[in-house]
Amino acid sequence: MRSHKVIEIRNLTPSTYVIKMEKKDFTFKTGQYITLGFSGSIDRREYSIYSSEQDEFLEVLIKEVEDGLVSKKLKRCKPGDYLDVDGPFGHFSLKEDEISEKKFLFIATGTGISPIHSFIATHPNMDYQLLHGVRKEEEAYEREAYKKNKYILCTSREKSGDFHGRVTEYLKQNPVSSDTVCYLCGNCHMIYEAYDILEKQGINLGPIHTEVYF
Amino acid sequence: MKKVAFKTLGCRLNQYETDAIASQFQDNGFKLVPFNKEADVYVINSCTVTHQSDHKSRNFISQANRKNPDSVLVVTGCMANNAKNELEGRDEINYVVENDHKSSVFSLVEAHYNGEIFHPSKLNYDLFSYGSTDKGFHTRSMVKIQDGCDNFCTFCIIPSVRGRAVSRPIQDILENVKSVIAKGAKEVVLTGVNIGRYEYENFKFDDVVEQILDLDGDFRLRISSIEPDGFGDKFLGLLNHPKMTPHLHLCLQSGSDPILLQMRRMYSIKRFMEIANKIRSYRPDFNITTDIIIGFPGESDQDFEATCNVIKELQFGHVHAFKYSIRKGTRAERMQSQVDERIKTQRSEVLREIADDVKFQYRNGFIDKEQIVLVEKTDGENAKGYGEHYVPVEFKGFKLKKNHFYRVKIKNITTDTEPVLIGEQVK
Repeated sequence: MRSHKVIEIRNLTPSTYVIKMEKKDFTFKTGQYITLGFSGSIDRREYSIYSSEQDEFLEVLIKEVEDGLVSKKLKRCKPGDYLDVDGPFGHFSLKEDEISEKKFLFIATGTGISPIHSFIATHPNMDYQLLHGVRKEEEAYEREAYKKNKYILCTSREKSGDFHGRVTEYLKQNPVSSDTVCYLCGNCHMIYEAYDILEKQGINLGPIHTEVYF
Repeated sequence: MKKVAFKTLGCRLNQYETDAIASQFQDNGFKLVPFNKEADVYVINSCTVTHQSDHKSRNFISQANRKNPDSVLVVTGCMANNAKNELEGRDEINYVVENDHKSSVFSLVEAHYNGEIFHPSKLNYDLFSYGSTDKGFHTRSMVKIQDGCDNFCTFCIIPSVRGRAVSRPIQDILENVKSVIAKGAKEVVLTGVNIGRYEYENFKFDDVVEQILDLDGDFRLRISSIEPDGFGDKFLGLLNHPKMTPHLHLCLQSGSDPILLQMRRMYSIKRFMEIANKIRSYRPDFNITTDIIIGFPGESDQDFEATCNVIKELQFGHVHAFKYSIRKGTRAERMQSQVDERIKTQRSEVLREIADDVKFQYRNGFIDKEQIVLVEKTDGENAKGYGEHYVPVEFKGFKLKKNHFYRVKIKNITTDTEPVLIGEQVK
């Protein structure tokens, strides 16, 4: 575990923010996560890495959890503070031989877009479509990072998105071609339901590419 | 001659490590005695995977102290990592040795008797520097290929106490296997925390298995516990090899997809079924055993029923089921909807009945068939051991010897909760 100095806090909505830290010699595979907490504190939480493999800094996307312990404290951190980073962890990774060969569908809900953001920032030329499920348009975190025709915002609580409804509803109405490689990241319920829909549409998911957010 | 006693809790990896430490003690003039006898040194290789494991470890610490309060009492293993402060605060324990220093337990005790008292943290740090296991507690020879785990399942404390995944160099593994075969081992068991994720340079788990199977010698290879997510079709193809035993302990944990997701397991029930069915397509009597966690947070009656149905459908040869218990610091500790203990107990009883039933059905299928049994205990005419499917067998024969293979015709089966195949040596 090592300490990383905070460079910047970027507030994206009243409850969601990005912490940008020094990267030092930290290396990771896009899609992996770290555990984060204030230096010396035993309270730590897991966050997927938001930045790309080649960025010279390390970023995580965090949503403040109501009654949460760590996300609330982290929101108050300031440039110059030190955070303990442990990791990287996890196997939610792209397969090297597929990146330039395959067509990808990324399905994320809420801050589950974090590792997907890292995928795309690391491999900007990959052939992808991104379905992002949120409640309101304001949760389309930094959507300018994605190519316009590649990012589909599904809003469930207002009609402001590209699609009004959940990502699972979008999937039902817009079947996916069977040669697509799918990665799912977000809440358990969405993953379970989306997996079912994709399977019925003939997608052979093979070993699951999923990362659950709680 | 000084006497040493061991108690090992938990996984095969712990058993391997105890075997190696016990061999080292004996090679250096110590006499091995049963744990319930008076000894000069007690070594408890603990486990912390559930509350129950912690409880058992504490009981054995008290038992050792009662037997000989003046003994050197060493506690190592996962509980030594997870409850280090608590254990170091207990006067009766002389040394608390964390997993990464475990291979130096003998050096620590030797230094103690030489009057050099030093803290276990000053010991040699090497996860793979265990010596020979030939004077251990097992006829089968375990070989450690990997340690630690990066999966971070939400219920599991093991990554915190065993550390990140580390793989042993493949050449060291092959040398180790050659060495145990040369010393007479007839069955080699690969152990580790998450062996399917073995990765050293460009070598993966299936490469290790393939290269071991290609070694000369009269031995058979057994894979211990393995997760369903780490290996590919090449490994499944190797299960057909004549030296490979037809048994895998493939950890399922739950038969419900929503629960598997909450556990952060990296497979679906469908994928697990595909693997199991592919294995059984090679060999219909292949023994698949598994682990099940009962009462994971949020497990509904429907989820539990799904688990029972998978057990019935896949006809597991054995189900190691245990009630979920909160492990501090894991993600599941913070999950809502923890299941009431009484419900967990009721579900355990239901599941045990189903598991016992499918186990009996599975083992009963060996009647009138033959098993190649590796003898672990014998008086020359009666022997006990395990067949290639890892089912216990008792048989009669002539001039039977320990650590030898015998072809046995299965004639009957006992009706205990742990049914044993009864047979006769085929001459």
